[in-house]
Amino acid sequence: MSVAAVSAASIPSQPSPRELSRRRAIKRFRWSILAPLILLLAFVLMPVLFLQLYFSFHQWTVYLGSWSDAEYVGLDLFLEVLTDPRFGWAVVRSLAFATGSTIGCFLVGFALAYLMRRPFRGQAFYYTIFILPMLTVPVVVAYTAEMLLYQSGPLNDLISRITGIDFKPMWLTDPNIALPTVMLLEIWNWAPFSFIILLAGLAAIPSEPIEAAEILGASRWRVFWEVELPLLRPVIFLALVLRFLEAMAEFPKTWALLQGGPGTATETLPVYIFLTTWQYFEISKGAVMSYLVMLLMIVIVLFAIRLLRREKQALDTMYARQKAAG
Amino acid sequence: MRKSRRRRLTAIMRYVLLTAWAIVAFFPIFWMISTSFKPDTQWFAWPPVYFPHPPTLSNYLNVWFGAEEYAATQYAISSQKPLISLLNSTIIAGTATLLSVLFGAVMAYGVSRYRILSETRMFQLLMLRMIPPIVIVAPLSLYYSTLGLLDSMTGLILIYFLTSLPYAVWMTKSFIDEVPREIEQAAEILGASRWRTIFEIVLPLIRSGLVATFLFILILTWSEYLLALIITKTQVTTLPIELSKYQGSTEGRVYGRQAALAVGITIPLMIVGLIIRKHLARGFSFGMVRR
Repeated sequence: MSVAAVSAASIPSQPSPRELSRRRAIKRFRWSILAPLILLLAFVLMPVLFLQLYFSFHQWTVYLGSWSDAEYVGLDLFLEVLTDPRFGWAVVRSLAFATGSTIGCFLVGFALAYLMRRPFRGQAFYYTIFILPMLTVPVVVAYTAEMLLYQSGPLNDLISRITGIDFKPMWLTDPNIALPTVMLLEIWNWAPFSFIILLAGLAAIPSEPIEAAEILGASRWRVFWEVELPLLRPVIFLALVLRFLEAMAEFPKTWALLQGGPGTATETLPVYIFLTTWQYFEISKGAVMSYLVMLLMIVIVLFAIRLLRREKQALDTMYARQKAAG
Repeated sequence: MRKSRRRRLTAIMRYVLLTAWAIVAFFPIFWMISTSFKPDTQWFAWPPVYFPHPPTLSNYLNVWFGAEEYAATQYAISSQKPLISLLNSTIIAGTATLLSVLFGAVMAYGVSRYRILSETRMFQLLMLRMIPPIVIVAPLSLYYSTLGLLDSMTGLILIYFLTSLPYAVWMTKSFIDEVPREIEQAAEILGASRWRTIFEIVLPLIRSGLVATFLFILILTWSEYLLALIITKTQVTTLPIELSKYQGSTEGRVYGRQAALAVGITIPLMIVGLIIRKHLARGFSFGMVRR
C-alpha cells in the first residue's frame, strides 16, 4: 500500500520520454534560433575586440609591416593616452556636446509634443514636417549646413533681414562657436526623435488621472507637474538616455563639416580617434583610446540600461493594472 | 465668454509656435532642394538667391549621369559613379536589412514565446547598438583586410546585419507580443511544426509590422557613414561616401552638384520614413511606448 503511494507520488518528478523529447526539441529550437547571432558574435565581433586588445598593448604603425610583429609595450600606451591633454579635451568636448544636444533635443521635442498632444486641425501636416530632419542622411545635413552657414550665407542674410540688425557670426570658422554650431545641427537633426517618442508617450497617458485632478480643482500647472510629468517619466528617461548615447557617438556631421577644426574646436572623441588612426596612422594609440572610450561607454550604457529597465518595469506594472481595471 | 477667448488665444499661440519650428525644420531642406536647381552662378551668390531663376536640371544631369553640356563649370568628375553607388547602397542596405529583419523576427518569436533571451540579455543585446562604432572600426578594418572582406559588399552587409539586429529583435518583438497565443496553439494542435508556425502563421500576421521594421532599419543602414567610410575603398562605395568624396576631390564649392546628389540620397529616405511614420515611435522606444 505504502509502496504504491510512494511510486505514484514519484511519477510526476520523472518526466515521460515524450516530455523529455519535447524538451530536447525545444532546446534544439532555441539554439537554432540563436545560431546566427552567436556566429556573428564569434566570427565578427570577438576577433575585432581581441585585435583591439592586442593593439592596445603592442606598439604598431602601418610602416612596421605585418601587425603580428608589433612590439609588446605593456601599459605604456595607456599612460601616453591618459596623459595626453588633447584626449582629455576630447572627452570634455564629447560630454559637453552630448549633454547640450540631449537637453536641446529634449526641450524642443517636448515643447512640440506637448503642443500637439491633442488632435487639432493640421496636426498631420505639422507631424510630417517635424519628422523630416530625422529622415535626412547625417552627411547631407553636414553639407547642407555648409551651404547655409558661411558668413554671407542665407541663414545670416535671412536673420539680418528679419531682425534688421547686421547678424554675421562665423558659424563654422570661429573656434568659440563651432562646437555649439554642430550642437545646433544635432538638435535640428534629432529633435524629431525626442518629439516622436514623447508624443507617443503623451498620447499613451491615461486620461482618468488628469480628469480626476481637474475635477478636484487642480490648476493646469499642477496637473502638468504632479500628474502628467510623473506619468511620462519613463518615456522622458528613454528620450534623454538614447539621445545622449547617440550624441556621444556622433561622427558624420562633425567630421564631414569640420574634421575637428577650426583648430581642435570640434574635436570630439570619435573625431580624435579617427584622426589618430587614419591620419596620423597611430593604430595602437587609436586602439587604446577606443578601448578607454568603450569602457567609459559600457559604464554609461550599463547605468542607462539599469535606469531604463527600472522605468520599463514600472511602466509594465502600470499597463498591467490598467488592463486589469479596464 | 472669457474662457472661449482664452482658448482661442492658446490655439493661435500653438499655431505660431508650431509654424515657427516648422520653418526651422524645413528651411535647410528647402535650401538643399532649391540649390540643386540653381545654375552655378547662384550657388554662392551675394545676396543669396532663394529661388533658382531660371531653374535648371544641369546639376542632376551632371552628377547622376555625367552629362557635361555645361563644360565651363569643369566639375564633372568622371571617376565617380553615383549610379553604381546607388546600386551598391541599395544592395548593401537592402540585404543587411532583410537579413536582420528575418533573423530578428525569428529571434523575437523565440524571446516572446520561449524566452530564449532573458530580459537582461535583451538589454545586453542593445549594447551592440549603443557602443559607438568608432571604437571598433580600426581593428575591424584590419580583420577584414586579413579576410579579404575590405572593400566588399559582404563585409559591410555583415557588420550592418550585426549592428541592426538589436533594433530588429526589439521592434518585431513588440509586434509579436500583440499576437494572441491561441492561434499558435491551434496550429500546434493541428500538427504544424514550430518553424511552420513561425513562417506560416505568426509572421504573416505581423506583415505590416515587418514592413515597418524593414523600412525603419533601412533608414539606419542607408544613411550609415563611418563604417562605410572605413570599409569601402574603390570597388564599393555607398551613397553617403560618394557625397563626401564630391567634397574632397574638387576645387572650390560645388554646392549645386552636392545638393543634386544630396536630394537623390535623401528623398527616397523621406518617402520611406513618411510611409512608416506611425511606427517610428515603436522602433525607437524598445517596448517603452505602446499604442
